[in-house]
Amino acid sequence: MRTFVTSIFALLAVLSSSPALAQPLRIGAPQPMTGPDAPFGDKFKKAYGMAIEEINAAGGVNGRKLEIVIEDHQAKNALAATVTEKLITQEKVLVLTGGRASGQAMEIASISQRLKTPYLVDHPSADMITAKGFEWVFRNNPTGSIYPAAFNDFISTYPGAMPKSAAVVYDNTLFGKTIGAAVMKQLKAKGVAIVADEAYPVNTLDFKPIMTKVKGTNPDYLLLVAVSTTDAILLTRHAKEIGIRPRAFVGFGGGFGVADMATQLGPLAQNVFSSAAWSGNPNDPKVKAFYAKFHKQFGIWPHEHEVEGYSIIYIIADALKRAKLTGNLDADRDAVRKALLATDMTTVFGKVKFGNWAGPLGDMYTNQNIYSPEHSVMAQWKGGQLLNVWPKSNAETGLTFPDPLALK
Amino acid sequence: METFAQSLTSGVLTGALYAMIGIGLTVVFGVMRIINLAHGEMVMLGMFGAFWGQALWKLDPFLSLVLWVPLMFLGGMLLYRLLLRKIIPGGELNTLLYTAGLSLLIANLALFFWTGDYRTINLSYGQEPVRPFGISIAVPLAVAFVVALAITGALWLFLSRTDMGRAIRATSQNGEAAILMGVDVERVAMITFGLGTALAGAAGVLLAPSLYLYPTVGELLIVKCFVIVVLGGLGSVPGAIAGGILLGVVESLGAVYVSSTYKDGIGFVLFLAVLLYRPSGLFGVGK
Amino acid sequence: MRSLAPWLAGAVALAALPVFAPNSFFLHVAILILMWTLLGAAWNVLGGFAGQVSFGHAALFGIGAYVTMILYLKAGVSPWWGIPVGGLVAALASLPIGLVCFRLRGPYFSLATLAVAEIVKLVALNWEAVTNGPVGFLITGLPPLRVFGLAVDWESKLPFYVVAALLALAGLASTAWLRTSRLGAYLVAIRENEDAAEAVGIDTVRAKVMTLALSAFLAGMGGGFYAFYFRYVDPDAVLNISLSMEMVFIAMVGGLGTVGGPLIGAIFLTTVGETVRERFQVGHLIFYGLFMMLAIRYMPEGIWGRARKLFSSLQARVLGHGAA
Repeated sequence: MRTFVTSIFALLAVLSSSPALAQPLRIGAPQPMTGPDAPFGDKFKKAYGMAIEEINAAGGVNGRKLEIVIEDHQAKNALAATVTEKLITQEKVLVLTGGRASGQAMEIASISQRLKTPYLVDHPSADMITAKGFEWVFRNNPTGSIYPAAFNDFISTYPGAMPKSAAVVYDNTLFGKTIGAAVMKQLKAKGVAIVADEAYPVNTLDFKPIMTKVKGTNPDYLLLVAVSTTDAILLTRHAKEIGIRPRAFVGFGGGFGVADMATQLGPLAQNVFSSAAWSGNPNDPKVKAFYAKFHKQFGIWPHEHEVEGYSIIYIIADALKRAKLTGNLDADRDAVRKALLATDMTTVFGKVKFGNWAGPLGDMYTNQNIYSPEHSVMAQWKGGQLLNVWPKSNAETGLTFPDPLALK
Repeated sequence: METFAQSLTSGVLTGALYAMIGIGLTVVFGVMRIINLAHGEMVMLGMFGAFWGQALWKLDPFLSLVLWVPLMFLGGMLLYRLLLRKIIPGGELNTLLYTAGLSLLIANLALFFWTGDYRTINLSYGQEPVRPFGISIAVPLAVAFVVALAITGALWLFLSRTDMGRAIRATSQNGEAAILMGVDVERVAMITFGLGTALAGAAGVLLAPSLYLYPTVGELLIVKCFVIVVLGGLGSVPGAIAGGILLGVVESLGAVYVSSTYKDGIGFVLFLAVLLYRPSGLFGVGK
Repeated sequence: MRSLAPWLAGAVALAALPVFAPNSFFLHVAILILMWTLLGAAWNVLGGFAGQVSFGHAALFGIGAYVTMILYLKAGVSPWWGIPVGGLVAALASLPIGLVCFRLRGPYFSLATLAVAEIVKLVALNWEAVTNGPVGFLITGLPPLRVFGLAVDWESKLPFYVVAALLALAGLASTAWLRTSRLGAYLVAIRENEDAAEAVGIDTVRAKVMTLALSAFLAGMGGGFYAFYFRYVDPDAVLNISLSMEMVFIAMVGGLGTVGGPLIGAIFLTTVGETVRERFQVGHLIFYGLFMMLAIRYMPEGIWGRARKLFSSLQARVLGHGAA
């Protein structure tokens, strides 16, 4: 009984304490810190923390320190809405970022729009987030339908790369269907036969039956889309075990770009392409310095999530520096929004400037980074490392094509 | 034809592992009439056991069964003795919710200590699948299949040849009669719960090399597990085996010949259909 | 209804809450509690009174949410009409579900409802022409409405609070009505001994199907309210198995087969959930699980019985607190 009384009072105390205007500039970030997406929340937490530490060590923003408030939404939409409300009304953050998955980001975007708080999307990729005309929502990273741009460029320009046929296997989530549709639309426009079009439920335990079916169609290219890392790993493992030998394995989605691919698949990951996981131009010395520093601090090499999280803080800091802050929260939030509209800078992620333009599937974007189409890259797994191979300007090494296994 | 043979083989192999998970749940239900919602977490613990065995002590995952099965057996008995025993008289629903709480507790403790990272186990052997008759069979899955058969055989011997096994079967068939016959129901329940936990753990150890593992993997497994045990008839061990293999095969063939999107749906429709025509499952032992 | 006094007191407390609410987040939590009260009550009608433990109420919730959303976006029907229509559609959908699942008893029934819910979720994911598949539906604005000549401000919490409060009261009132009705008596007979109930001439299937329809109506309205309040509906959000489980927890912790139980359960679990999440960023679900285990171990009959005493002492404390 005491627990109940105490918790009610604890809650009341928390709810009713409205902190006086805090000195630091507060950034809110709903992220999955527990639940199935917890590893991603952790990546962003590290990246945000590192950027904020650097900015504060260099004197903060116009003399004020930055502070990040991360709230756990457990990858649940209703909870994402709850913590967003809390960040805006209780924690009095100036600007929001984060979200991780598109479903939760939709709730955050919808509430930010209503409560007039800028939301700068760092990772969620559903086209819809910036295609609803929300003037308070901005996005630095490319949308899902832009993800396959580098792949598209590769098959069109690399000699002999044009597929004779392609099998497309994608998960039936928002992410999987968007990318599956974009890829197939572009391939069909080039006259490539789609010999298999398979959607699977996320977190499938066994892909062998699907891969058996795909093997029967003898595809020239095998295109795999996975929002979940585990699906990405198992898709690749089972496709190889079943003995599918296309000229290229191409994975779309974050799962194909994480270190787990190499540690868990070992030699099976060799020569698999990962299209999408844009993580800055690795040939840029500033990006290299960031990679080295991050690796030194946390013992892991940063990838798309860390680069996105780290860059977003710099974009926010830049906007805060230019915004005229008065201490009136509503006015300050609008000032930050206006400052974001005038953003024109380069981070380790790449160039950023927000604008309104039409995407590849015909959606009209609002405040979407206009450089997004350049932020698509094809990388390839080589000896346990993911190296950028296309487009050539971002390439770290030459590419291996066709897959040597296909020639056996 | 090759496609059919391949999907049938994968179906039977994964089905046997599904069956392993189901047997533990069904044995416990048979004796205690409780559905243990934390069963999936016990499988998860077995998976992590195999993982840590390899990561820390370079223990072969399949050999680590010798270590984890007895430990899980003891753990299950303690769990029953210290926690569940006082809850069961409160009724079916209370026990169900209690185990739901337990499942949250175990999964989140695991998340806290081991983080949510996805892990898989790489065996030093069997990177290349074996290919009898052109059918690809992954080595870890094949080994797990054989071990699962052996464990099931041992369980059958235990249940049919030992006094304790007979007492468990008697309690499962008719609890009141078993009491009248002088069976120490309390002790039977404790051992059965230990047995169920050990079987879940064993299933986890066997699954680990073929699957990825993470602290909340139990959620994914428990729903399948329900389908299996109900297909076979709650409380029936042969039923769980048949249910597991049936589900494995139906999912596998369904994904190839019907639709991979509705793969899981096929399992559920089959489940409802069986329930309607045989409400107590294929091998049902009473209502 | 033994007396109207508790109802009046409750209504006054509900009406007074927004006046004393320190901020909009407090109202947001109150709205969540009321929504969960409705859902707990919906589940309790079937699970608590008839003893039919459903693990599939997310399907009914989801149907209500989708109907409300689709009616608004495709036919222009305002959500406040969409919510009861969503409830009705959920009630209709519950009839075939009931006819199939009620052929089974006990745990078989529970697991069959789970399977139905999973099938409904798969359909919502894949029937893109109607449900928009995994993309789901988003409302960007609500239509203007005037009540007593005043324009409703949809950006504030108050109108949602009022709707949630009315729905929660409707849920609790249905439970109260059921308790004193003939149907309620049948249900208790079925819960205690189904064969005996049949033997004395109760049409058990009919009684159970009717109760499920009532339960579905309430759950469907809960879903409609979710769509209206959160403004974004996708299969993962409204057809998740965890929703079904949450409804069971609330009814259970509050007290099965009681009128006020769902309210208490909703207050309890929402507050505990928020408080532990506040304190422990990573491990908070550990405490949630532990709390559930302790609640069932030490209060197996739910907390409604002790709730009154608690309520009065709490009221005294809150009032004392306010005066000081």
